[in-house]
Amino acid sequence: APALANAAASKESFNLKMTNAYPPGSPFYVQGPGSPMDFCKKVGEMSGGRLNISHFAAGELIPALEGFDAVSQGTVEMNAANAYFWAGKIPAAQFFTTVPFGLNTQGMMAWLYQGGGLKLWHELYEPYGLVAFPMGNTGVQMTGWFRDPIETVSDLEGLKMRIPGLAGKVYSELGVTVRLLPGGEIFPALERGVIDAAEFVGPYQDRRLGLHKAAKNYYTTGWHEPTNVTELLINKKVWDSMPKDLQMIIQMAAQASVLESLSWSEANNADALTDLVQNEGVIAKPLPAPIVSRLKEVTADTLLTMANADAQTKKVYDAYMAFKDKHASWAALSEKPLLNM
Amino acid sequence: MVGNEWLVIGMIVGFLGLMIIGIPVAISLAVSGFVAGYLGFGSTLFSLMPARLYGVVTNYTLLAIPLFVFMGVMLEKSKVAENMLETIGKAMGGVNGGMGLAIILVGVLMGASTGIVGATVVTVGLLTLPVLMRRGYSPSVSCGTICASGTLGQIIPPSLVLILLSDIVGESVGALFAAAFIPGLILAAIYIAYLLLLGVFKKDMVPAIPQEERAQTSGRQLAKDLMAHVMPPLLLVIAVLGSIVGGIAAPTEAASMGALGALLIAIATKRMTPALLKETLHGTLVISAMVFFILLCAQPFALAFRGLGGENMVHALFEMLPGGEFGAILFLMALLFVLGFFLEWIEISYIALPMFLPVFMNYGTDMVWLAIMVAMNLQMSFLTPPFGWALFFLKGVAPKGITTRDIYVGALPFVALQLLALVVLFQFPSLVTWLPEAIGW
Amino acid sequence: MRTAIKGLEWLVEQMGGLARFCVLVLVLLVATNVILRYLFSIGPVSLQELEWHLVSPIALLGLAYSMKHRADVRIDFLYERFSVRGQAVVDVVASLLTVAIGAIIAWLALNYVSHSYQLGEGSPDPGGLGMRYLLKAFIPLGFFLLVIQGVADMLRGLVQFFEPEDPVELPESLNTETA
Ligand code: NA
Ligand code: NA
Repeated sequence: APALANAAASKESFNLKMTNAYPPGSPFYVQGPGSPMDFCKKVGEMSGGRLNISHFAAGELIPALEGFDAVSQGTVEMNAANAYFWAGKIPAAQFFTTVPFGLNTQGMMAWLYQGGGLKLWHELYEPYGLVAFPMGNTGVQMTGWFRDPIETVSDLEGLKMRIPGLAGKVYSELGVTVRLLPGGEIFPALERGVIDAAEFVGPYQDRRLGLHKAAKNYYTTGWHEPTNVTELLINKKVWDSMPKDLQMIIQMAAQASVLESLSWSEANNADALTDLVQNEGVIAKPLPAPIVSRLKEVTADTLLTMANADAQTKKVYDAYMAFKDKHASWAALSEKPLLNM
Repeated sequence: MVGNEWLVIGMIVGFLGLMIIGIPVAISLAVSGFVAGYLGFGSTLFSLMPARLYGVVTNYTLLAIPLFVFMGVMLEKSKVAENMLETIGKAMGGVNGGMGLAIILVGVLMGASTGIVGATVVTVGLLTLPVLMRRGYSPSVSCGTICASGTLGQIIPPSLVLILLSDIVGESVGALFAAAFIPGLILAAIYIAYLLLLGVFKKDMVPAIPQEERAQTSGRQLAKDLMAHVMPPLLLVIAVLGSIVGGIAAPTEAASMGALGALLIAIATKRMTPALLKETLHGTLVISAMVFFILLCAQPFALAFRGLGGENMVHALFEMLPGGEFGAILFLMALLFVLGFFLEWIEISYIALPMFLPVFMNYGTDMVWLAIMVAMNLQMSFLTPPFGWALFFLKGVAPKGITTRDIYVGALPFVALQLLALVVLFQFPSLVTWLPEAIGW
Repeated sequence: MRTAIKGLEWLVEQMGGLARFCVLVLVLLVATNVILRYLFSIGPVSLQELEWHLVSPIALLGLAYSMKHRADVRIDFLYERFSVRGQAVVDVVASLLTVAIGAIIAWLALNYVSHSYQLGEGSPDPGGLGMRYLLKAFIPLGFFLLVIQGVADMLRGLVQFFEPEDPVELPESLNTETA
């Protein structure tokens, strides 16, 4: 009977709504190769019009961060965002976007697709009636823009920085004053020195915000976001009601978007960085090693404290760290010598 | 879909009808939105409502509303504002329209610290309308001047409109801020010129303070008064702007410097009493909540407009787009203007702009210039009767005796002046593009 | 009926008192945060979040309060030409619609709040404020108060309609005249 039902259902078509945590027009997060709008278009064409997804950027239907509730309650069927936005609801969710000093993009994909990560993610979201898939990746992000050069750990003391989330918590342990600011106020605040430093995304997105006009020291090592996974959230009832072929189309289109958005980011960041350094007088350099190692120590403590706060987070943390250790020893032997050549 | 189009039209007509018979604007918006949305969708659409309401009351930039309103109410209750305007009026001597100029300047200065129409119109209205009325200014000219100067904050950076537009057109916030600076000042200059001309040709509409009364104040006394009455509020404006420019506060939180400053001025001038504080808090709450009431009740309306495919109607109009860059711009401007009659600017920006952008990108239109044209146009819609938000907000704080008609009639000349500014920017795009290029933003 | 009006409006006034207090706290808090950060580089995430958390009670508890004090914006071309009874009819219709809107939104929002409560939702930022459902609870509370005020206004309108020569006193309206 299930086979028959599937055959019948395969003629069924779905009209779905997808909301997005990012504002209209944003490259990568909303439009462009491998973006959520591109995903909707791909799915429509692959399914011969049986999956018709209307996309709504942040604020068009609901505010930026309301997608989780809306999809969970079924008022919207899909949402595009980053899992760490839901940290206030499910602390463990942030492991599925990025972890400071955690897996890089290759490692993250390996964990999610082959190392049991995706299964854990689904387990975690099951009680909320949700299914999630990776649908994009920015690749490694940048430490951020600093008005003055940072030479030693003590330079961080009293520094005012715009940086949200876990990384903000780590910085604050080193004496940084964390300032939360909406995207639009980052530029005026940095330009006038209300804040001394700001983290945003990477060269392409940061240039678009004009941050290089406000500060010239552009630091690297994306210790705080060594990768960044875009999350496709789907209402589980809707997902379960779909025939196998449509489910497969969604999964494959999401995987294709990961590849496409990542390669788009890598290529565009390379161009943007060259432009910033050659034409805009930006000084791009890595954070000094002593600062990085201090940040690493504090991060380890912070993550452990967070993991021990609840059982669910501990479970995800353990699985993530076990995979990371395994992957690190392989990467140390394979990628690292290659990059150092 | 054809049925839904009629629902959208019915919703707009229903809103208009309820409003005309005297149902509060906020309630009219919500009722028409709920009814049309329900007819089109049943109850499903509105399960998204709470999320939208939550988005309004937790919007960081809207913090500026209670803060600026507090500043305005405090300055009004402690008579600081009144003394300031009277003194400026005297200092202007026989120049008719002098106090009107002061209001434009206040609008420019306040506009440079916030971009929220509700906050500025209400504050400027509270501060100046009673004094203008007592000084024999025509009610409509007073109201028009206040609404126009209160909306200047939209175009003078920093501004919410520009921040949102920067995201939509994909130019940096800094570039748009720099680009809007000269157009903002041009607009203010056009207003000032208009008031001065009124002062020459219709002097009874904007009378100077009578010679006999000015004669009672000696030059020395006037200088003293200027120090005593004009300096404190001026310092306040400097505190707000200075805290942004000096890197002390981000744009939104700078409003708190104004609020704190007003509190300190009241204490320093020995006017602070528990009763005054209570009255100020009362006034701030009532006015801020009034602004939020409209913003909240606009949500069902906007949601229904979206849900019923209102944007598809806009899209259909867009298909009729005449050829050429000039035609496209003309059409965009007309469309924004009409949408501004019944939609909030945020909705307009989301609905209309993303559709037009690819067209203009094809023409190679300068996106910074286009964004400023759009911002100027949206600003015009704030002032346009019958649905301009600025007009509603002023009505909310206007003293008895000011009618809706006064406000509407007063706003019209300023709408025409904004149209003039738009034409100027269209003819001379370098007014927009020069500054960002010169300072390299 | 007059007692009922008084009783309902007493509740709105009390909640308004709480919101007035929030206004004062907001002014002092934002200013303090700016000064502490500038002078001493102190800026806890929790105090930054508290800034915009205070907007919610101000906006929502203030809805009914601003209606009670007649600060609702209305277009009065026709209204001011109506007779006292005609105005009373418009007032009763407006208050009925207010009750309906308030009730619908309060009811819709209850589910939203309970969902947040079940999740034990807090801030996504470490160091942020917990119990976000309390913040969200101001939505149904604020619109419930609007229903209360709507009922009071409806009763007042009815009194006005049936006894136009002996109307119920309006609460002290917002006086913006400096004279
Ligand atoms: Na502004
Ligand atoms: Na308008």
